[in-house]
Amino acid sequence: MTLRRRLVDWSLTGFLILLPALVLRASLSRGTPSALDEALLRITAPLETGVSWIIEGIGGTWSRYVALVDIEAENRELRDDNERLRRDLAAMTRKAYDVAALEDLAVVKKRTPADTLGARVIGAPLSPQFRVLRLKIDRGEREVATDMPVITSEGPVGRVDRVYGNYADVVLISDPGSRIDVVIRDPAQPAAQASGVRGLLVGLGRPDSYACKIEWLERQGRQGPGPDSKVKIGDEVVTSGLGASFPAGLVVGKISKIIGDDGMFQSVEVRPTVDVSRVRAVMVLLAPPPPPDPDAKLRRRSEPAFGTRPL
Amino acid sequence: MRTATIVLAAYLLCVVVASIWRLLPWIDDAIPDVGALTAAYLGLTARRQVSPAIGGAIALGYLIDLISGAPPGLFALVLALTTLVARAVQQRILVRGATLSIAFSAFVALVATVLALIARVGYRMPSAKLSTELSHVALVTVATAVVGPLVWRMFRRIDAAFARTHRERDAALEGLAP
Repeated sequence: MTLRRRLVDWSLTGFLILLPALVLRASLSRGTPSALDEALLRITAPLETGVSWIIEGIGGTWSRYVALVDIEAENRELRDDNERLRRDLAAMTRKAYDVAALEDLAVVKKRTPADTLGARVIGAPLSPQFRVLRLKIDRGEREVATDMPVITSEGPVGRVDRVYGNYADVVLISDPGSRIDVVIRDPAQPAAQASGVRGLLVGLGRPDSYACKIEWLERQGRQGPGPDSKVKIGDEVVTSGLGASFPAGLVVGKISKIIGDDGMFQSVEVRPTVDVSRVRAVMVLLAPPPPPDPDAKLRRRSEPAFGTRPL
Repeated sequence: MRTATIVLAAYLLCVVVASIWRLLPWIDDAIPDVGALTAAYLGLTARRQVSPAIGGAIALGYLIDLISGAPPGLFALVLALTTLVARAVQQRILVRGATLSIAFSAFVALVATVLALIARVGYRMPSAKLSTELSHVALVTVATAVVGPLVWRMFRRIDAAFARTHRERDAALEGLAP
């Protein structure tokens, strides 16, 4: 190689080495990719994507279908974990449900002027159509007595029917033997003030629903007879407080159907507000609430039914 | 043409290594420096003129800069200098045989990573702790030494494909400088 060619070669080499140094300085001062960088990236990106896709495909095939060492043991371990976590979740859900039910009862106890006793539902015989026929509660002979009303925060549930040992059976308001004095709530008045047309709520005892009916519903309210005293579907039915059993103003349900109207009386079907199939805890009213005293400034409560309060 | 083919093959190899490295996180920093190996090969096999080899190394370095996210020019500069180092070595010793190939691969990896470190410091680019940098240098050197002979064997095949005579072909496959 001649000296001239060697000089040219080394000059070119020097220039080539200087070039990236200058490019590096420029790119550092600029901070963003140049147009050439972007163009090259645009050209090379599909190639890189293709190669990555092939390599990842091979790697995925390897890890999914070939390298399956310890997968069985890991799978068994995960299944065990899953089962344990499901059990824990079921237990926690049950506890949360119980806590919610007890919180509800605490609210009911505070709100009700009658002497009350909380009870847990421990059994509920079902009809062939999965309708609860009656409830079994964990309160027995020294705590509750027959005919004591049973309520929840949503409304009346029924009455204590039988007491045996440490348990008692509750007959539901939907049972044909149940009778509750009710009034159709006047929408203009608060629920606690029983007003409007009166009637007697009787259970229908249907095997597939908890429906009740009101027969001989008077068409005359306190305002006297008139078109306004005619009840409508959706009207709320509340306890009247008469009969010294259920406190007045408990929402029993809503009118779901008008069965008959002979001009003087109406007959309607009522859908109860309490979903008995979901009741986990109830409140038994041990003593009827005291009659209202308009002169008393404080809210009165009934005397303890059994001398001392179990709860 | 020969240099362009080697640069293209090295670039594809870099992309493959990057894809495989993503799938093997346990490899950590032990990534073979294919760029340094290519630059060294171009330097070792440079014929009478060195500028084509330098040009090829710069082109490959620039592509590596783009795919690695480094500032454009960094690896181009490093690989150009690595080519010059390899050229200087080629004029003194004959890199032939498995042991020498492994040792020379480790050497070029070390040279390239140290040059990159010096360039980063010189251009005031952020760098990690010294211990981290040294551990990176060591891991890259080992990985490059392991794959070096294989990569060069591939480049020799390319060289053999471009040989004009049987003698050139045999020399290329033997790893002898033309």
